[in-house]
Amino acid sequence: MSVNEKFSAIRKGLLEFLVLQIISAEKVYVADILKQLSATEFATQEGTLYPLLSRMRREGLLDYEWKESEAGPPRKYYELTAKGREQLRETLEYWGEINGTVKKLGQK
Amino acid sequence: MNKVITINLGGNAYQLEEGGYDTLRAYLETATAQLQHNPDRDEILSDIERAIAEKFRALLASHKTVVETKEVAAVLAEMGPIEAEPGEASRPGASSAGATSGTSGQKTAGEEKAAGSGGTPRRLYRIQEGAMIAGVCNGIAAHMNIDPTLVRLAFVLLTIFWGTGLLVYVVMAIVVPEARSPEEKAAASGFPATAQEFIRRAKEGYYEAMKGFPDRRARREWKRQFKREMRAHADQWRYNWHSYWAEHAPVHPGMGFALPFLSLLQGAATVVWICAIISLLATGAVFGLALPANVPTWVAALLLLIAYGILVGPLKFARRACYYGLGRPRWAWSFVFLLDAVVWLAVVAALLWLAFHYLPELRDAIHSFPAIAHQAADDIRTWWHGK
Repeated sequence: MSVNEKFSAIRKGLLEFLVLQIISAEKVYVADILKQLSATEFATQEGTLYPLLSRMRREGLLDYEWKESEAGPPRKYYELTAKGREQLRETLEYWGEINGTVKKLGQK
Repeated sequence: MNKVITINLGGNAYQLEEGGYDTLRAYLETATAQLQHNPDRDEILSDIERAIAEKFRALLASHKTVVETKEVAAVLAEMGPIEAEPGEASRPGASSAGATSGTSGQKTAGEEKAAGSGGTPRRLYRIQEGAMIAGVCNGIAAHMNIDPTLVRLAFVLLTIFWGTGLLVYVVMAIVVPEARSPEEKAAASGFPATAQEFIRRAKEGYYEAMKGFPDRRARREWKRQFKREMRAHADQWRYNWHSYWAEHAPVHPGMGFALPFLSLLQGAATVVWICAIISLLATGAVFGLALPANVPTWVAALLLLIAYGILVGPLKFARRACYYGLGRPRWAWSFVFLLDAVVWLAVVAALLWLAFHYLPELRDAIHSFPAIAHQAADDIRTWWHGK
């Protein structure tokens, strides 16, 4: 089992965190999120993202508004709610702790 | 040459090659099964449809209007499989599509394969949409691909004359299962359910999208576009239905020649009906049969209209069967249509001309028609205000 495979579950779990971070910067729609992720190890697809976004919205972390596009159907633009921002802050903090732990352990 | 199917995604119409349509349908069905326990299922599905629609749109140009099968496959590969959220579908085995969706979904898929090229297998179900009582007649009509009114009429006649209709109805209401799932609904009529399903979903998307538009102009534009596409969709639906008829109509091709005769019959019925209405308006009696004292003229006219509809309905039905009995070549259809229309018009015109010249009563009636019409309008008005 390669490292890449071993980390697939972790990457999946981290996706929500990354989506929060992307949306925190500006209002985005799904294609923007996919584009930002595509160059990273976290590249994903609509089939994964839409169910994730809908769950996050149900949990009150984000909200969306409709915007028309020049061509094609209207798009949903996502933004964070106060709860979402709070969650992002907590996650970043926790992530920092984990990082510290990973570096610290095993060192004498 | 490939058959092209029009679908509605996110409120826009797209034309797909048949193979691509099947791929897309399979994808959406798997997605539906995966999201079965997700409370946001419908919303996610319409998100997915909109995303697919955008990708399709990017593929099309003015000289390219049809999405090819391999393009559909590429778009769906880009979309990736719909993954159930861990929180929602954490039941064991939920990761394989349809594992928790019960046996019904898988069984339908199996049956569909067993039916081979025949598309959705057809079975008798009760259909509640548009039902009068328990949907028995509706289901039979869908099964036999005829108008439910005819079936209802048959049941009523059976009840009146032989008394068995009611019994048969009650037994069928108990024995015949009701079509609940989209698969069963599809099996009830033999048509794929997707067309109706797409319309339903598109409508949901429609209202949802309406909420988001900032100003009235944008809303109106969206509404206009939506209606146009719904119309295109209805046309497609009708066309599919007609070609279905063309393939399955239980008639001999030679029956196309019976068409003008049927048209003559219908024309005759129409002329008799017009004469009846005129004689009713002119003399207050239908061909000398006086109305009961307390029946107003307009009720009699309405009854005549209904009688005409009942009489002409089967004729129309037979004519339609003849059209589609002609088979494939479309030019043959248009030719017969034209011939039919000409014969029909000629007969009606000739009869009216004859009647006008040889029946002084009719001439008088037509001359006095404006006055009668006014009288009738007044009658209706007084009745309405008296109510």
